[in-house]
Amino acid sequence: MTALVATPTGIWSREAVAELKRTSRLPQFLVPTVLTPAAFYGLFTLAVSKSPSPEYALGTLAGYGVFAATGPALFGFGAGVAMEREQGLIELKRVSPMPAGAYVAAKLVAAVATTALALTLIDALAIVAGVRLSAAAWGALTLLHLGSTIPFALIGFGMGMRMSGKGAVAMANALFLGGSVLGGLWIPTLMLPGWMRTLGQVTPSYHLGQLARGIVGIDTVGTTVGHAIAVAAMTAAGVAWSWTGWRRSPA
Amino acid sequence: MSGDLSDVARLTCVSKRLGGRSVVAELDLGIRAGEVTALLGPNGAGKTTCVSLLTGRIAPDAGTADLFGLDPRRPAARRRLGVMLQSAGLPDVLTITELLTLQSGYYPDPLPLDETLALAGLTDLVDRRCAALSGGQARRVHYALAICGRPDLLVLDEPTAAMDRASARVLWGTVRALANDGAAVLLTSHDLAEADALADRIVVMDTGRIVADDTPAALRARAGGSVIRCRSRLTPERAASAPAVRNADMEGADLRIVTSDATATVRALLDTDTALADLRVADATLEDAIAALLSTQPERLAA
Repeated sequence: MTALVATPTGIWSREAVAELKRTSRLPQFLVPTVLTPAAFYGLFTLAVSKSPSPEYALGTLAGYGVFAATGPALFGFGAGVAMEREQGLIELKRVSPMPAGAYVAAKLVAAVATTALALTLIDALAIVAGVRLSAAAWGALTLLHLGSTIPFALIGFGMGMRMSGKGAVAMANALFLGGSVLGGLWIPTLMLPGWMRTLGQVTPSYHLGQLARGIVGIDTVGTTVGHAIAVAAMTAAGVAWSWTGWRRSPA
Repeated sequence: MSGDLSDVARLTCVSKRLGGRSVVAELDLGIRAGEVTALLGPNGAGKTTCVSLLTGRIAPDAGTADLFGLDPRRPAARRRLGVMLQSAGLPDVLTITELLTLQSGYYPDPLPLDETLALAGLTDLVDRRCAALSGGQARRVHYALAICGRPDLLVLDEPTAAMDRASARVLWGTVRALANDGAAVLLTSHDLAEADALADRIVVMDTGRIVADDTPAALRARAGGSVIRCRSRLTPERAASAPAVRNADMEGADLRIVTSDATATVRALLDTDTALADLRVADATLEDAIAALLSTQPERLAA
């Protein structure tokens, strides 16, 4: 029996467009996810220290950009996937001929697009506060910030395939806030107590934050290569965590 | 059915444990083209597990699952498969048109959108978002998702559970037409009228095994004879010892007895229980036949 028939083209892009549409129609998700990081940055960096130096605004920009990427990734993937699984939407995809990768890629595109919106607001605030960077530095920083979505998305996806919607929301919150504090995204790592710094080293937030600080040329802990290796290893672990989650038998 | 119809999907000596319990044991089941196969049995019989194995949602612990010659877990194997799941939801914020366009794009040679919409009775609802659909309308969208890729195997899990009778009859008509055009159809249902109306072949499962595999007519003939209903003080166990009784159980307040010789059974019953009342005798139905096969209460089937 001949079984192999041609793969239709364009599945991946159509899946991504549908996911972008869905995201744009969920303002209750989109608005807080986009506004929260910018509001925090505005409040803690600009408003609290009445007239922040551009250097200070730059240092916190590095961290808050990573923070902006964790929200869409952890909530869109973690909580979102868990809820879609509970509603039987993943089952719908699993019995269809859609490749699993198209589903993940589409959600990733939507998460990166959401991150891009949040970054636009934060970067605009930073410019208002007097931050000036070369075009190359802006480009590198933006790429890193957008790319920060990936490891968190993989962590979230693995969570979403294993946890209930409620459990995944709670866990996403813990990682979102905990990772940001321990990883030194809000308060620079060097100002944290020693035990928090040690704990923070297991979070992607810490290593991504340090890489971002390196790009804009402010003081970092450790080496760029070391942080890049840590991020790569955590991303690889995230791929395995996600893949095993997807392959799990539906309960 | 003629023997030259080839299997489009097959479970071969498949065993599966879920949650520490054996749900399917050394089961063989082939699904043939051009035929509607109904999978019946009480809850926990293993019907859903068979469907999950054939559609690639789970892998067998032992034995093989085969879909168009491939492992059903491979997306390529599922390009000729359409599935209507009972438990699945719909993405709330997409419209029916958007959802069906997306799904059609997964298949190499999908039906034109208009045709899918017409077959599923959704033409008037195209721009409706899925969140705004009634239960029956949502089932019709699931049906549309299952047929939009011109499947060679259509799997329907409780297709008409939330539908009114009129919608159900329309759906039966289109399923029958697909089978007549050569598609294989696998149907699970609690509704024996549905199975009787649609199926060319009925496979009855109980506790992870196949207990019967035949045409509806042959199954009815196997049950034979008649069904006696009455009000009696006799327990089903006592009634089962009367002559010619195949099966006895309670149906609400009625004692219900399947027998191959109604006269002999009734005579014995009246002798044993002089207070017996409200006696009725009818021809055995498909439901009676299956209840006799399962030797359990028919309520389990209807649950």
